[in-house]
Amino acid sequence: MADRPRRPLSRRRLLQASALAVPGAWALSACAREQPLGGASSAATSAGASSGAAPAPSPTALQIASPQNPVKWPINPGNEPIASGLEPEAGATLRIYNYPDYLDKAVVKDFQKEYAEYDVKVEYSTFNDYPEALTKIRTGGVPYDVTFMGYNFIARLVYGDLIRPLNHDYIPNIQDVWQEFQNPWYDLEWQYTVPYVIFTTGIGWRSDLIPEDIGARPNPYDVFWDSKYAGEIAVLDDDREVIGMTILRDGGTDVNTADPAVLGAARDAMLEMLSLSQPRVTITGYTDIPEGVLSLSQCWSGDMITGQYYMPEGVDPSVLRYWSPPDGRGMIGNDYMTVLKGGENPVLAHHFLNFMLGNDVSLKNFSWVGYQPPLRSLTPETMVADGYVPENLASAVVKPEWFQVGYPLLELPPEVEGEYQAIWQQFKAGA
Amino acid sequence: MTVSAAPAEAILEEAQPGRRRRVRGSSDTRAYGLATITVIYLLWALVPVAITVLFSFNAGRSRSTWQGFSLRWYTWDPTGSVLNDESIRNALTHTVLLAVLATLITVPLGVLFALALDRWRGRIPSGANFLALITFVIPEIALAIGLLFMVTYLATPFGLGTWAQVIGLVTFQLAYPIVICRARLLTIGAHYEEAARDLGASAIGAVRRIILPMLFPAILVSAILVFADVLDDFVIVRYLSSDASTETTSMRIYQTARAAPTPALNAMATIILVVSTLVIILGWLAYRRWSKRQGDTTELGSFAGNL
Amino acid sequence: MKDRSTRLLWPILGLPAIVWIVLFFLVPFYVVLCVAFGTVDPVFRTPIPIWNPLEWQFTQVAVVWDRLFGPDNFYLPAVLRTFAYVAIAVSACLVISFPVAYFAARHAGKYRGLVLALLIAPFWISYMMRMLAWINLLQPEGLVNKIITLGGLIPLDINWLSGNPFTVVMGLIYGYVPYMLLPLFASLDRINPSLLEAARDMGAGGFDVFRRVILPLSVPGIVAGSLLIALPMMGDYFTSDMLSKSPSTAMIGNLINLSIVAPGQAGQAAALLLLVLLVLLVPMVLYTRSNARAEVRS
Repeated sequence: MADRPRRPLSRRRLLQASALAVPGAWALSACAREQPLGGASSAATSAGASSGAAPAPSPTALQIASPQNPVKWPINPGNEPIASGLEPEAGATLRIYNYPDYLDKAVVKDFQKEYAEYDVKVEYSTFNDYPEALTKIRTGGVPYDVTFMGYNFIARLVYGDLIRPLNHDYIPNIQDVWQEFQNPWYDLEWQYTVPYVIFTTGIGWRSDLIPEDIGARPNPYDVFWDSKYAGEIAVLDDDREVIGMTILRDGGTDVNTADPAVLGAARDAMLEMLSLSQPRVTITGYTDIPEGVLSLSQCWSGDMITGQYYMPEGVDPSVLRYWSPPDGRGMIGNDYMTVLKGGENPVLAHHFLNFMLGNDVSLKNFSWVGYQPPLRSLTPETMVADGYVPENLASAVVKPEWFQVGYPLLELPPEVEGEYQAIWQQFKAGA
Repeated sequence: MTVSAAPAEAILEEAQPGRRRRVRGSSDTRAYGLATITVIYLLWALVPVAITVLFSFNAGRSRSTWQGFSLRWYTWDPTGSVLNDESIRNALTHTVLLAVLATLITVPLGVLFALALDRWRGRIPSGANFLALITFVIPEIALAIGLLFMVTYLATPFGLGTWAQVIGLVTFQLAYPIVICRARLLTIGAHYEEAARDLGASAIGAVRRIILPMLFPAILVSAILVFADVLDDFVIVRYLSSDASTETTSMRIYQTARAAPTPALNAMATIILVVSTLVIILGWLAYRRWSKRQGDTTELGSFAGNL
Repeated sequence: MKDRSTRLLWPILGLPAIVWIVLFFLVPFYVVLCVAFGTVDPVFRTPIPIWNPLEWQFTQVAVVWDRLFGPDNFYLPAVLRTFAYVAIAVSACLVISFPVAYFAARHAGKYRGLVLALLIAPFWISYMMRMLAWINLLQPEGLVNKIITLGGLIPLDINWLSGNPFTVVMGLIYGYVPYMLLPLFASLDRINPSLLEAARDMGAGGFDVFRRVILPLSVPGIVAGSLLIALPMMGDYFTSDMLSKSPSTAMIGNLINLSIVAPGQAGQAAALLLLVLLVLLVPMVLYTRSNARAEVRS
């Protein structure tokens, strides 16, 4: 190299290079991975998330389920349920894909013990949010067997042929859950899903760090716009939850709105929040609040209940507080478990779902994750008395009737989802 | 801006030891000032890490309040210790596995390329060398995303997971052996090889019997560098990991440092620190043996200088 | 006969690495281009790469451009923030490492080996572990707060770990300073002491010697060290993630890292990445050249 001064890229070389590029590109496209696309054709579409330049996909592409519009999902040809009476796969690794700390490791060990004769190994992989999970499930190439999701993603899971319809014969323990979850609006006749846990979205804090009773404010959500707490608060790392909360704060009730005016106002309010209180964006409130890293955070009801197990030495769990609208008019939801089509162990996955639904296992899991399963044996009144929920967190108990008045986060049409994502990106860019 | 070559400088220093001492003597106060800054810097750089190591031996859960010495987070805690938490154990073994595989591939690739570059002139080798040097300074996230997209959108024979991680790491590390071995080849010069050829050795024979042995310290140092750097890698291994089985220690620290860590996390980090220290010590011993055989006298400094 | 086989030997030795670089550096880079100039799946909003450069679409690049310089330029603050953080961190690294490297190179005397080994030590300690160390120290109940409040005597409640830009910049300095120290040490070590003495003999004062001899001679080391830490910092997202996790300290790396798995935004992440690389191309080439020059010199 010493004897040859490097020449700048000449035009001739540039031309040579571009002449090579086209056949090279052809060679590459020849080995492009086939996308597991559903019916939509991809060629005619263009990008552009916020500009709204993307032509709307055909209206039949995505059916949106809601309490007013319950949906019975189609079963795509070639994706029939597994046959009854099959033996679980032996020597298998059951791959579970879930939020971190959202399933009791001891329960997983119990499952392995119960299925010891089949020499089962369980591998627990984690995602940070549902959009990431959906992307990875679709393109990541890891054969996950079971995943945990919210109902704002079910249409795409079905549409993309990513999940497997259930054979109910393997899941008798469905008897143990509330009647309405045996035929939920987001999946009539529970063809694809079984319920996992239920939760509200609210505000958690430590009363010794924030002596104020947040719930006593005229508008408790305002606390995120209170510069008094700058640097010690956080919102959830989830676009829908933060945008939804902002809409509720401003007096709206439609947390699934497609109205550009409402969304624009929410965006402005969120940017204002950033400058007033510099919130962190994280789903780890369940440890950060107990540890005092955060004083207050938007969180799910289960986070504070599990938070009592993360208290530092010398701090009593009785300082934890949780608020969500006491009339139930806040965000409410449930997560479900589903069997992924790409998994290698469908029979074992069915067994796992059934195992998790069982009353005793479900209760054991509850006492670790802090998220309440919709079990028949579990009534809101007895949860505190039985020691599942400490008295100072009684407000974190989800009441069944709230599902009649609360606001679930529904799946959005892709172009609306694009608007939400754009707002979220702007928020997270700190602009 | 001419800088004299290092050997000449060394000779100069050898020849005039008295003068050098005089220079130093004249700036004693400044030397003390500089020494103070250096000590403060070293304290700042190393004490936080030492505290992290210390707290891996904490008997309680806290990472900031000392509750007595214990090996709890290494061995006996039934669920949380390194020994009993399968995911931590797995992260440790996977990290070491990646380091071994990446080193085994990177070093031969790089050494051979450096040898070729020493003789082979033209656009192809210098272009490749340029690209290899670019991989050295390009933000790691660019490489990681490129490979992630490649694995996702092209029908590569390997998917995300161990092999994708190894491939990413090798690409990112390739510059180390190339740069180090080339520097060494330039100081060796061509005359040893020419002499061997004159005595009838074939080109391959000369490389194998003359050049490679002389290249040994450079190969050793680049192997150590690659190994230690891979133990430390985060961006590439995270982007190209598949599921929990391909999680490394750095990913675990990233994920749990802000979530629900116990001193077991410190213990895991300490173990990786011990592994890389061991590798360096072994490397130093090998280096010392080699230089003894070569008749050099050597000390820690020149080995460290090579790194 | 023999001559030709010899001539062929070198390309054969070099071939594996060249194939490797083409397959795993150039091809991935091309895929990034195809994604950045590609389209998006309408339902899943995942990228659909366009392989033929003649069909490339510029929608994603336009979106990114708009977010940088258009009316809705919400990328810009993060970009400016990144440049500010990197500039401060690099300057601080320089200020810290210059005296230290100078001491190690010139004044360490018989402790030289030890000092050098200690200077290199942080280099071996995993970056994540060093960040973990500071997370532990900077917790609300952590050692730093205990010390500055004198064990709770002074009611000073500093929250270091939530959106505190000072912490993030400190983390960058702490994380990258070893990478600056080594090239600087190498270039200072190379300065011939007799030059300094000659300057002094001609009546130059301590400061003059520094300004007119040492500083100019260490410029290559300063440039190499600065580039060596500034370039990776431009893509760093984990330091801010570990020490802040607040959008108010988001850097370019965070923007890219966030978008890559978010629906509908992978293409934009790719386009943003390309723009960043385009800007960094000059310093990158500068670095490889200075590296080549250093090789020639030694």
